[in-house]
Amino acid sequence: MEKYLYIALFAPLVSSMFSALFTNGAKKQFVGVVASLLIFSAFVSSSILLSNILNGGEVLHVEMMTWMKSGNLYIPFGFVVDQISVTMMMVVTLVSTIVHIYSIGYMDHDKGFNRFFAWLSAFVFSMMILVMSDNFAGLFIGWEGVGLCSWGLIGFWFHKNIATWAANEAFIMNRIADLGMLIGIFLVYWNTGSLQYHLAFPAMAHLDTSTLTMIGIFLFIGAMGKSAQFPLHTWLADAMEGPTPVSALIHAATMVTAGVYLVIRSNELYSLIPNVGLFIASLGAFVALFAASMALVNRDMKRVIAYSTLSQLGYMFAAAGLGAYWVALFHLMAHAFFKALLFLGAGNVMHAMHDELDPFKMGGLKKVMKGTWIMMTIASLALAGIFPFAGFFSKDTILEVAFSEHHMIIYGVLVFTAGLTAFYSFRLVALIFHGEERYKIFGIHPHEAYKFMLIAMSPLLILAMIAGIFQEPFFNMVEEILGAMEYHIHSHVTVWIMLVGTQLFVGLAILFAYKKYYSWGSVPDGSSAMENSFIYKLLYNQYYIPFAYKEYVMKPYNDISAIMWEIDKKVVDASVDGIANAFYLTGEKTRDMQSGNLSTMLKWMVTGLVGLLSLAAVFGIATRYSDEITTILSGLGV
Amino acid sequence: MLEHILSILIFFPALAGVMGFMINKESMRAYGVSVATIEFVLSLLLWFSFDNTVSSMQFMEQLPLIPSFGINYILGVDGISLFIVIMASLFTMIGIASLTETPNVKNMIITLLFLQMTMVGVFTALDGIVFYVFWELSLVPMLYIIGAWGGPMRIYASVKFFLYTFAGSLVMLVGMLFMAYLFYQATGRWSFALFDWYRLVLPENFQLWLFAAFFIGFAIKVPMFPFHTWLPYAHGQAPTIGSVILAAVLLKMGTYAFIRFSLPLFPDASVYFMYPVAVIAIIMIIYTAMVAYAQKDVKQVVAYSSVSHMGVIILGTFALNVEGISGSVFLMIGHGIVSGALFLLVGVIYDRRHTKLMSEFGGLAHIMPKYATIFGIMMMASVGMPLLINFVGEFLSLLGFYAQSHMLTLLAGVAIIVGAIYMLIAYKRMFFGEVTKEENKNLTDVNRRELIALVPLVIISIWLGIYPKPILEPINNSVELVVQTMHNKATTEDAKMRIPNISGVVISKTSMKEDH
Repeated sequence: MEKYLYIALFAPLVSSMFSALFTNGAKKQFVGVVASLLIFSAFVSSSILLSNILNGGEVLHVEMMTWMKSGNLYIPFGFVVDQISVTMMMVVTLVSTIVHIYSIGYMDHDKGFNRFFAWLSAFVFSMMILVMSDNFAGLFIGWEGVGLCSWGLIGFWFHKNIATWAANEAFIMNRIADLGMLIGIFLVYWNTGSLQYHLAFPAMAHLDTSTLTMIGIFLFIGAMGKSAQFPLHTWLADAMEGPTPVSALIHAATMVTAGVYLVIRSNELYSLIPNVGLFIASLGAFVALFAASMALVNRDMKRVIAYSTLSQLGYMFAAAGLGAYWVALFHLMAHAFFKALLFLGAGNVMHAMHDELDPFKMGGLKKVMKGTWIMMTIASLALAGIFPFAGFFSKDTILEVAFSEHHMIIYGVLVFTAGLTAFYSFRLVALIFHGEERYKIFGIHPHEAYKFMLIAMSPLLILAMIAGIFQEPFFNMVEEILGAMEYHIHSHVTVWIMLVGTQLFVGLAILFAYKKYYSWGSVPDGSSAMENSFIYKLLYNQYYIPFAYKEYVMKPYNDISAIMWEIDKKVVDASVDGIANAFYLTGEKTRDMQSGNLSTMLKWMVTGLVGLLSLAAVFGIATRYSDEITTILSGLGV
Repeated sequence: MLEHILSILIFFPALAGVMGFMINKESMRAYGVSVATIEFVLSLLLWFSFDNTVSSMQFMEQLPLIPSFGINYILGVDGISLFIVIMASLFTMIGIASLTETPNVKNMIITLLFLQMTMVGVFTALDGIVFYVFWELSLVPMLYIIGAWGGPMRIYASVKFFLYTFAGSLVMLVGMLFMAYLFYQATGRWSFALFDWYRLVLPENFQLWLFAAFFIGFAIKVPMFPFHTWLPYAHGQAPTIGSVILAAVLLKMGTYAFIRFSLPLFPDASVYFMYPVAVIAIIMIIYTAMVAYAQKDVKQVVAYSSVSHMGVIILGTFALNVEGISGSVFLMIGHGIVSGALFLLVGVIYDRRHTKLMSEFGGLAHIMPKYATIFGIMMMASVGMPLLINFVGEFLSLLGFYAQSHMLTLLAGVAIIVGAIYMLIAYKRMFFGEVTKEENKNLTDVNRRELIALVPLVIISIWLGIYPKPILEPINNSVELVVQTMHNKATTEDAKMRIPNISGVVISKTSMKEDH
């Protein structure tokens, strides 16, 4: 079994290094093919490991070699394949295999084709390190590694200023959170004496609550950065500047869920501190609503999907915060399937529309892009949580959790958000695929994507439809490790009312979206009453948060840095030069004394002599009358 | 030969330098490279013969110089100094090998060989006076390199560099003399031998004054805020090779001396001054990182980033536990490799464009992809990406200091944010975007000579980032000894508590036999 672990882990690395060999050369089709095959082999190995776990095999735990060893600190390159990590491995390798194959078509005309696969496979490798490591430091390697690859892929088209800006924003904002994570790691080490999960978590049971709370909060700050939770969320929408396959893999299915993974992995910790859990759940519910509201009015197709991702991450945190770790993990998995599908579909549309992103400029695309239309519709249904698609099972369970744990506000927010989700998803579908063919105004001739791209997407389509049937086996698998309980509301009537009510509500939201946007005719130009309302503007400008960051964080940082530099030159360095100049000046001013003129010299000699004599006289007198002086001084109170 | 390998390492380059005057100009490069390579091979030999399991000094040599004052020529190397010595010879080698067209190349190579003597001397000397002599001598070649081959303000920069550091070291010399005098008072004989001093337990108030005297000498060298302003001038004016050696090796003299002198000699004072020093380190980290961000000249960015990283090293040193000090020693190596490489990289573009202003570049990744890749790797190493060399040291340093103070570590951790800011923005300005300047359109990518210098550094950065054990283990062993010495010597309650007692470390006979 160990063999498969290493294949799953290192095949992406080999793929990345292989592709990197050709970075500077011209586009080579086989680079993409080889990379896809290697990632596929990682998928196969992960599947074997999964079947091993499902058949009751032992949890695989290997230590490859020592990484750091100093004092009492011992950090190995250790990897563990248990129920949690194998789930993540499956999600990561499956989606990335599909995205790799898809990218062969999507990046077809790009001159950075080879470089793209090098980065993409490096990302998969980092992600595998992240989910497979058996210690916090290894997790941190993956954590930073995915950040690096995300930087490289968001800024992939580095000639575009806006793309590299977004890349830097993502990296730096993640770094802010990483500091929290790092502090969390330090706390774990100094309090439990180890960074390895199997030693650290059991030791936590003996710590006092305040320490645990600190650990929990700092680790969660790290999770907030990667999973783009408020207030560190702005990078995710800007990250849409990267190529669309990147958005599908990194900013929907895998990397952004790393924060959720961290909370699930640390379930033993968070179970001990329900207050922090409640905070996480509340923040999650807030972000779900907050992000969904921004998605309502946005006119950038990819950003809408990005906000929807953000919103769904909020759902996952709500579940994880309430202690339903397995539900969060299940939603993570289901979400990865339908959201990646949605993004890849959006990629097809972008290709067809020559990188146009405004859905208002599209319309009627279902005639030319039938396959994409079906896929995106089903993905949207799954996202909205319509029975019997994947989202229904995973999202509905989250609602049940909130309900049965008696957190009615969280429950209410999440149900309401479900309606919003349905609305903005189908607003997008209606605007893109139905109605008048507004793209004709812009002289675009759309075409369907390559057939193999659609075929590559089909596994995701199937999973988005049927993933619900895995709920039961999944629960049985992770039950042992996540200490899961099934969330059942005792009264059957309540359950049915909730189910049907939610479905009706969501269905109505979909109908409303269709009604409003099905036959949209014109491209809005900002003159309508709605576009000038306060709420619209607030939402359209993302609550003015990016603006505030620019104005109140970045600008001051620039200014303060400039001031610091001035201080460095004009205060710190100037005082050093001042001291040096004092010596120079003293020399300069006193050199006249040494003019060599005999009478001047004699004059100074006499001055010196008088000075010395008077000093001697003063000291002489002072010694003689020292007792009296002391008495006088003490009398003066000195 | 092995029993005198340290003397050979010190004096071979100097001797070869003297011989160099007789070599004719055309073959000077080849001569310089061969001498530096032999020296490097010798330093590797030192490493292979080094016993990793021994934590005390190895390859010790002793020769009385002025017995009546207890001045002896004592050399030795342990895990802390070994790798800095190797790094010094590595950088001299690749520095000479990658030397660009330089006027008076003969003099330059001879100067570098002399510089190498002083560097190895500083890191192996175990006698106060011998240490001081090498410490001061190292100023001369550097003064010459900046003053003779520097930019337009070279005279100002070199004089400032010389006088500033010289003034600091004089205070340190006074401290050393006083230390020897105290030893004389205690035992009735003079000694400048470090191991004699180690055995001296000083009262706390003496420690405080002596700590301060040594501190000024070391702090200027490091350089610590607010004594750092000579550094931007020195880097700004120095030729590439000067900056590389200055950043990679010479700055480490200060941080090394803290571990070799200040900590074991004055454990109580180290604890007493821990917070103030940590505050200075944090100012270094954040303040200079912000200043680096404000720079327009890429070399100044790297120069200020050096100060910022040195702040983390100082912080790790004053963690006063094994994790922190090991981390700081490791980071000395890491910072040497990374900042040396970054200065070489800046030199690459300066040779082509004769400017270092970032506004003159932009879009270089289109034209010089290999250059952009290597720069990218080194940039990521500099911002502390895991699996690259700097992360290990930074992580351990901060982890170590966390045991002393939560809040200060949190503040120091800002290093990972501000470091990313100035580095990424600088990289974006230089490499991303469209090529706007006509002059940049026909630049050639890195050539073979530049690759000879850069590729080994990239390999080392990755290798030691993934597998730091070969050097972390000996460092760790020697640091354990230092920490145990400190714990044993500490007199105050606070110091005993803050400096951990390492069980299981046997203090082998570290002190020299009293044989005179």
